[in-house]
Amino acid sequence: MTELLSTLPGGLVAGAVYALLAMGLVLIYKATRVPNFAYGAMATFIAFFHYQLVGGKQYAFHFNVLFLHVNLHKYVQLPFWGAFPVSLAFAGLLGFLIERFIIRPFAKAPTVTMILVTLALGLGLSALAQQWFGANDLIVSNQHAIFPRTPAFSIGGVNTSWERLGVIVIILLLAAAIYTFFRFTATGLAIRASATDRDVASLLGVSAKQLSIVSWVSGSMVAGVAGIALASLLVSSNPSILLLLSIKGFAAAIVGGLVSFPIAVLAGFGIGIVEEIVRHYGGQIDAKLFTGAPEVVTLGAVIVVLAMRPKWIFRGIRDDDDGGVTAGAGSSEFFLARLIDPVEAYRLLRAAVPSNATVTRAGRGVKFGVLAVLAVVAAIFPLLPLPGFWTLPVNLTLIYLLVMLSYVVVVGWLGQISLAQGAFVAVGGAGAAITANTFHLPFPFPIIGGVLLSIPISILVGLPALRLRGLHLAVATMAFGLAAERAIVPRFDASTYVRPPHWLASDTARYYVFLVLTAIAFAVAWRISRTRVGRSFFAIRDSEIVAAAYGIRPVRVKLTGFVVSGAIAALAGTMITYQLGGVSSGYASVTFSILWLGNSVVAGLLVIGGPVIGALLFGLLPELTKGSVSASSISFIPELIAALLLILIVAVNPEGLASMSRFVRSRATAHAGSDDDGDIDAIEAATAAATPDADDHELVVAGSD
Amino acid sequence: MTDPTDPILRIDNVQLAFGGVRALNGVTFDVPRGEIVGVIGPNGAGKTTLFDCISGFRKPDNGQITLSIDPAHPVELTRRAAHERTELGVGRTFQNARLFKSMPIRDVLRTVQHDSMRRSGFFRSVFGVGGSRQDEAEAATRADEVLELVGLAAHADKPAKELSTGMLRLCELAAVVAVRPKLLLLDEPSSGIAQRETEALAPLLRRLTSYLDATVLLIEHDMPLIMGISSTIVAMASGAVVAMGSPAEVREHPEVLSSYLGASA
Repeated sequence: MTELLSTLPGGLVAGAVYALLAMGLVLIYKATRVPNFAYGAMATFIAFFHYQLVGGKQYAFHFNVLFLHVNLHKYVQLPFWGAFPVSLAFAGLLGFLIERFIIRPFAKAPTVTMILVTLALGLGLSALAQQWFGANDLIVSNQHAIFPRTPAFSIGGVNTSWERLGVIVIILLLAAAIYTFFRFTATGLAIRASATDRDVASLLGVSAKQLSIVSWVSGSMVAGVAGIALASLLVSSNPSILLLLSIKGFAAAIVGGLVSFPIAVLAGFGIGIVEEIVRHYGGQIDAKLFTGAPEVVTLGAVIVVLAMRPKWIFRGIRDDDDGGVTAGAGSSEFFLARLIDPVEAYRLLRAAVPSNATVTRAGRGVKFGVLAVLAVVAAIFPLLPLPGFWTLPVNLTLIYLLVMLSYVVVVGWLGQISLAQGAFVAVGGAGAAITANTFHLPFPFPIIGGVLLSIPISILVGLPALRLRGLHLAVATMAFGLAAERAIVPRFDASTYVRPPHWLASDTARYYVFLVLTAIAFAVAWRISRTRVGRSFFAIRDSEIVAAAYGIRPVRVKLTGFVVSGAIAALAGTMITYQLGGVSSGYASVTFSILWLGNSVVAGLLVIGGPVIGALLFGLLPELTKGSVSASSISFIPELIAALLLILIVAVNPEGLASMSRFVRSRATAHAGSDDDGDIDAIEAATAAATPDADDHELVVAGSD
Repeated sequence: MTDPTDPILRIDNVQLAFGGVRALNGVTFDVPRGEIVGVIGPNGAGKTTLFDCISGFRKPDNGQITLSIDPAHPVELTRRAAHERTELGVGRTFQNARLFKSMPIRDVLRTVQHDSMRRSGFFRSVFGVGGSRQDEAEAATRADEVLELVGLAAHADKPAKELSTGMLRLCELAAVVAVRPKLLLLDEPSSGIAQRETEALAPLLRRLTSYLDATVLLIEHDMPLIMGISSTIVAMASGAVVAMGSPAEVREHPEVLSSYLGASA
């Protein structure tokens, strides 16, 4: 019993931080209905800012134009509590800027768009943090800790520090303050009113803009406190660890339906305490065996709770939160991708030009011409006189290509948002490593093993998708991604080393093997998109109800889509294993999943030409710049650009990008000069066909009386 | 023995109550094979509820619905699930056209044939073997055929979301026809489209009926349309059939005059 109790302080303090993060998320969601996937990145960013103030830094400012010379050098270092108000002010400013320049332009956007925007914001902030504060780990020394790390009391022989005690007290005080704010202030009442019914609240004079600013500024400050406390508790942390921990705050908030403070706080504490217990007892049995077990248990529980669809989670949500991705990412497309994709270009051409034999032949010619050129370039690529550092980036590009293709299948075609593709990369790597190292099977088998292992896991991930959509599916797959990252990657990283056959030891040899595998995956995807299988995906994406009415079974189709998408990502995982010896978290983390989802959206999710462009733009280019500079000065600019691009692309149409295709298509029809007097035309054609004396060459069966 | 003049659908004493409201209060009538049968009645007469019972979206509390596509094998419908009825040959449209909005309508019409493409499982489709190519070709042919039939061939490459209400209705009609039902339930095909288009509906419905060689059960509020096209009219009021017969008979029926058309008509 005392042993169980001794885990309590650790669990409570972690739980308190999750609860605090959850409260901040609920605060923002209640007032603005924006699910803030950037919340963890905001917390991280403010924490880095704070500890840089505390740690001290040389700031320099030079301004030398004509005869005006200003050269300021200032060494800034503040004591912890001196820096605290500055950091809080910075947090408020950050919240204000985000609200004003990123959130407000999307005020009327559907939830899926907001998910993408905040994911992009999170990527951007975390890249900015690393660019600004350096890629080194953030270390909070004893003298800079939030409270002294000396023991305050002990339970069962385990000491609890003043730091932990202090953090719990601070967070409880903050929770009380937030509760008071909502219960007893006019603004709090306005937010609650707005959460109940936005339109009525705005009719009664509640300003949505004002509420949005208040909630983002205060929510950002809450994130700051959580981030600062968390970094101090962890002693050594980095943006990706802080981000991962904040996902648990999100999980706690979603268990409360993103609107309930009490449930969110309880869930936060629950996750923290259960994790600590699992970690403690698992560590006693076999620490290595229980790697990732805390996350698997707590996040698994969150997924199960979500999938049970308790009423309280779905009561407070926005109507379209539960509506799938149809309106948003599912129909998003980058028109460049549509034009370059031969199949799509051909379709556009067909829509634009009145159909006749010559045009059809020309279109087909263009289509196969582009394909042939691509094939030839890909085939002779290693023979081109390129610098040596090109080989690795090119091989990695093929891997990114597959990751993006897996997103096209699950998000673009099936219409199910997924933040777990990185987890499937890890699963593929794990399958390959098991096949090679445990079963000692030679070369092609580890690839097959990796893909096969992904099938049951895909079904497992697909199961919640049968009951969840939109926001909840995004959180469920993110939780799965995090659990998989913590449980799988440490076991199958490069240290497990899958030895390639000797003929596969060069980058060029690997390139050809990867090229063939990628080509097979693309051929399969292409066939799917052209046949009954693909059409059943599109049908589910557009409307499950209508699909069911025509005998298409949503359960079977969704699981098929998840399996195909998972297998493609797993194939990428096996390729990484052969390229790098194992799958590192850089290719399997939730951050990786989010980054490549964003890239896929920008490049185009509907057509298989999208991944080709995306891989060149977001894979080859950054990898080449990375390869050409020294490893010490890793630049996070590509991530930053990717995040900005995603926000821009989504911003072109806040309705969810659907009009991109309309834009292209309407231009295409305008060029063709066809008048679009829709139904009258149609009905007249019908009438003409029905009238016996009409020119009825298109009449199939004559109307009879 | 069986008689080809047997009704294709027998509705026998079908009852359904929503709480205290008796939506269907013992509906009984036969639908003659190969005819267009119109169902009329004021709002709340139970017309759409009856369609829901036939197509399986609602289960009647009482009564039987017997489908005899093949007169030798009558099937009792009330215990069958909705998708089974599709397989048995019952197709229906809704008051609001329901379609896959992002697909070009040619693909919509291929998609709705999902169930009849029995040789096109996942692997057969991907590798293009085992008859899946024939399945695809047949589905494509039928899609084009039906589009031609409803006069939407020129718009085949347009996504459904770009169509107007009238075209959407035609497209939904085409989708149901593409599934090739033998009993077609049409719920207010004229709703939401202009008068001029409504006039073109009658010949279109006749053509579709003869293309499918199907029997049609039609709910419609447009009197000239339904009286002109139907060979038999069923008049409903308050969940029961008040009159049945040729359009001329029903039009003159005193109960129809009072309950539906109004005494002054």
